[in-house]
Amino acid sequence: MKWAGIAYALVIALLSTPAGAQSDPKAELAKLKPKDFPTQPIEFTVVYPAGGGMDVSARLLAKTVENLSGDRIIVNNRTGGAGMVGHSYLATQAKPDGYTVGVIASLLWGDAMLRAQGRWAYTDLEPIAYVNSDALIWVGSTEGPYKGMSIKDIVNAAKEKPNTIRVAIVPGSMWEYILDQIEANSGAKFLRVPFQGGGAGITALIGGNVDIAQGFFSEFRGYLEGGKVAPLAVASGSRMDFLKDMPTFNEAFGSNEYLWQLVRYAVVPKGTPADRKAYLAAAVQAAMKDPELIAEYRKQGVFFDPKLQNSKDLAADLNAYADVERQFYVKTGRLK
Amino acid sequence: MEAVNGLLTGFGVILTPSNLYLCFLGSLIGTLVGVLPGVGPLAALALLLPVTFTLSPVGGLVMLSSIFYGAMYGGSTTSILLNIPGEAASVVTCFDGHQMARQGRAGPALGIAAIGSFIAGTLGVIIMTFFAPAIAAVAIRFGPPENFALMVLGLVCTLFMISGSTIKGVLMMALGCLTAAVGLDVVNGRERYTFGSVDLSGGIELLAVVIGLFGIAEILSNVETMAKTTLLADRIRGLWPTLADWRASWRPILRGSGLGFLLGLVPGGGPVTAAFMSYALEKRIAAQPERFGKGAIEGVAGPESANNSAVAGSLIPVLSLGIPSNPVTALLLGALIIQGIQPGPLFIAQRPDLFWGIVASMYIGNVFLLLLNLPLVGLWVQFLRIPYRVMFPVVLLLCVVGTYSANKNVFDLWVMLGFGVGGYVLRKLEYDLAPFVIAFVLAPLLEQSLRQSLVMSPDGAMILIKRPVAAVLLAASAVLTYLMFRRRTKNEGGLS
Amino acid sequence: MFERTLNVFWIVFGAASAVYAWSLGMVGPAGPESGLFPFIASVIVSGAGIILLLRPSSAAPDFPRGGGLWRVLGVIAGLVVMAAGMPYLGFSVTSFITMIILLRAVDQSSWLTAVSLAFISTASVFWLFGQMLGMALPRGPWGW
Repeated sequence: MKWAGIAYALVIALLSTPAGAQSDPKAELAKLKPKDFPTQPIEFTVVYPAGGGMDVSARLLAKTVENLSGDRIIVNNRTGGAGMVGHSYLATQAKPDGYTVGVIASLLWGDAMLRAQGRWAYTDLEPIAYVNSDALIWVGSTEGPYKGMSIKDIVNAAKEKPNTIRVAIVPGSMWEYILDQIEANSGAKFLRVPFQGGGAGITALIGGNVDIAQGFFSEFRGYLEGGKVAPLAVASGSRMDFLKDMPTFNEAFGSNEYLWQLVRYAVVPKGTPADRKAYLAAAVQAAMKDPELIAEYRKQGVFFDPKLQNSKDLAADLNAYADVERQFYVKTGRLK
Repeated sequence: MEAVNGLLTGFGVILTPSNLYLCFLGSLIGTLVGVLPGVGPLAALALLLPVTFTLSPVGGLVMLSSIFYGAMYGGSTTSILLNIPGEAASVVTCFDGHQMARQGRAGPALGIAAIGSFIAGTLGVIIMTFFAPAIAAVAIRFGPPENFALMVLGLVCTLFMISGSTIKGVLMMALGCLTAAVGLDVVNGRERYTFGSVDLSGGIELLAVVIGLFGIAEILSNVETMAKTTLLADRIRGLWPTLADWRASWRPILRGSGLGFLLGLVPGGGPVTAAFMSYALEKRIAAQPERFGKGAIEGVAGPESANNSAVAGSLIPVLSLGIPSNPVTALLLGALIIQGIQPGPLFIAQRPDLFWGIVASMYIGNVFLLLLNLPLVGLWVQFLRIPYRVMFPVVLLLCVVGTYSANKNVFDLWVMLGFGVGGYVLRKLEYDLAPFVIAFVLAPLLEQSLRQSLVMSPDGAMILIKRPVAAVLLAASAVLTYLMFRRRTKNEGGLS
Repeated sequence: MFERTLNVFWIVFGAASAVYAWSLGMVGPAGPESGLFPFIASVIVSGAGIILLLRPSSAAPDFPRGGGLWRVLGVIAGLVVMAAGMPYLGFSVTSFITMIILLRAVDQSSWLTAVSLAFISTASVFWLFGQMLGMALPRGPWGW
């Protein structure tokens, strides 16, 4: 009888050890929750309009974080000035009390360096978790005079006939910068047609009003499936899983400077208490491991930058990327 | 016929208790949201988006789209009763609808608005059912030159709408263009008129302007002349439209339906533009345009129908091509994407259940809304009996919250206040505020399209003439301008 | 008198705006620059102001006096309190205070009516928007 009891106790003990038990992300997260936090809904601030790419990413994330943490999350769109209004709000006005989390993109850096005029810097926002990355892709139409051409052919055509090939751009950000690089390196000259966003440019492409559009995969996926657009090249370090036949700009031109990606990550305003920041960081990071969320993101055509996913010091790694961008601005005379 | 088959599929999908319930719920919320000043479909959709995560794609989309067109039904209510627009697309209804209420005819005004909305909404869905893909293929070719020409036509039509002094109206339009220039220049990303303010760099919010000019200014006017027992209308003369009302309204309703649908298709169009253009059209072709602004029922029937069919029109590009033409449809697109569905040219073929389910739900939704709104007419009319002194603080509070809901930025409240005081003063000095608003809405797109066209085109401005649609629209604008000057100089003996 | 002031205001405002627009640049290599459209609009505003100034003025508008003026100013004051107070005191408190100001000053209700109506309306709006629709209304230093 005594042996049975000991055996029984041993079995129970074995089953309760970490080796035997399934670690539950919800439980892990609950352990990190600070006292009296949160007592009201947490705001996920998105600086772009509802329904757009950033907004969709943020809402999917908010849904998952809500599930895992049991806290109420409200997604709030603070729009205006192509993101500037929202970025300024996060950097200067949002209270660092843990109730505001910004789900932002690396376009923050451009705003901070070129437009903030010293009122705030991107270091006023502390990164807590990496979400995903989206690489800029050039697409051409499947009709018209440039159909079937590769990216190198098109750049050559632009060199031979300057100012005839129409490219959709969004002024003041990477859509323009990559053109600056290509034109500087190849001597080609494109006709830049300004639009308010990548999506509008792709619409124009389908309607025959521009010859090349730039955007992210989620913006043209429907048209790709419908056979209306042909992807030309992507501005990332390696080829995309979902479009394996599409070369990178770096491959096509033998360079390593055509790296234009949107990095999406979560931030809190500087000065947020350490325990709340750690809790929020853990919550978002736990959400980023959720297989359903990852699957949803993959459907959007985003990719996960391994360097940032496994980063030991997210802020430092992101700042390294920001510095690359800063050097580009200095080199092209946009920044002193 | 393929369309009929599709529609039958759609009805099969929608006629389940849960989907019907969601359609009804959306219609109810939409009506409510439309009634509340300031809070419009965009705010409501953004707020309710998370709710759709737990619903099926069909259910979620049905609910969201019924909120969209439901708001067009409800928006006329406060416009007619209080002269305060329920949302931007109902501003025009204030002009004649409220005058009708003051004459004791709030009931017929509300009734015609509801019935006109129903007819227009249903007609819009019928056109959608049979012609969606064909229309989409044409709409996609609308590029910057066509947009520019359309905006020019819109501004010319606005000149028709000016009541009172033409010079003052033109001044208001120019001021509207200037106010719209505040913020970022879309074409090159530079800041204009922002003077270093971050809030201004986002531009001036349309909702704050509309609520200020028409809501706050109205409250200020009323409060000034308020006696202790002011009621908005001394007597109620009948709840239902008379035969004369019907005779006057049926043609504006049909015209509004057609015009609204077309304007919903193009980017930068949508219910707001549709309502204004319909008003301008009705005023232009009326036998006695002086009646407008004094309670002409055509001024209610036309615009209210137009803003409803514009909803159907704006759904076509988003559902058959994946292209949103205004912020609300952009949000619907986002909702679809979150559900894992990618609208595009293949949407109808890949997800016929979803597309036809939404279309079928629109038929049913319009019926729900008619059944909801008509009986409510009796209820709303009773609101006019509440003493103004009790009502206005609550309405003011709702205006504040409604404006705040746009960007969650307190700066908008200051904008609302500023335009409220400004609008109040300008009204006293007999300035017509409507041209300001329409210029504010149309000018940015006009400027952007012109500059895009000039950049795109190898031979400069000639592109506007070489593209047939653009050329036709510009010619129409020229003709209309000429006609308008002739009429004004004939009628008033000079440009007063 | 007011009309003439306003017309002069249009002329001056239009002129200042035109100067600013000029500094943004009129025409560039790619067509109109940032300043062209605002410049044209500003010139129209000034021009209209001049034309209106040269006209014989119509009957003087009746501006509010006495009780009416106080009521109008009261509403404006209420709105100023609302806009200025919300970021610091949160929605609920500010709106409660504003409603009391409006109901007492403009409408001259008794204290009882004012306080109860203020409370009911603030609470219902807060519930409708904050809870039902899930909109984030600003919260004061004490969390609501």
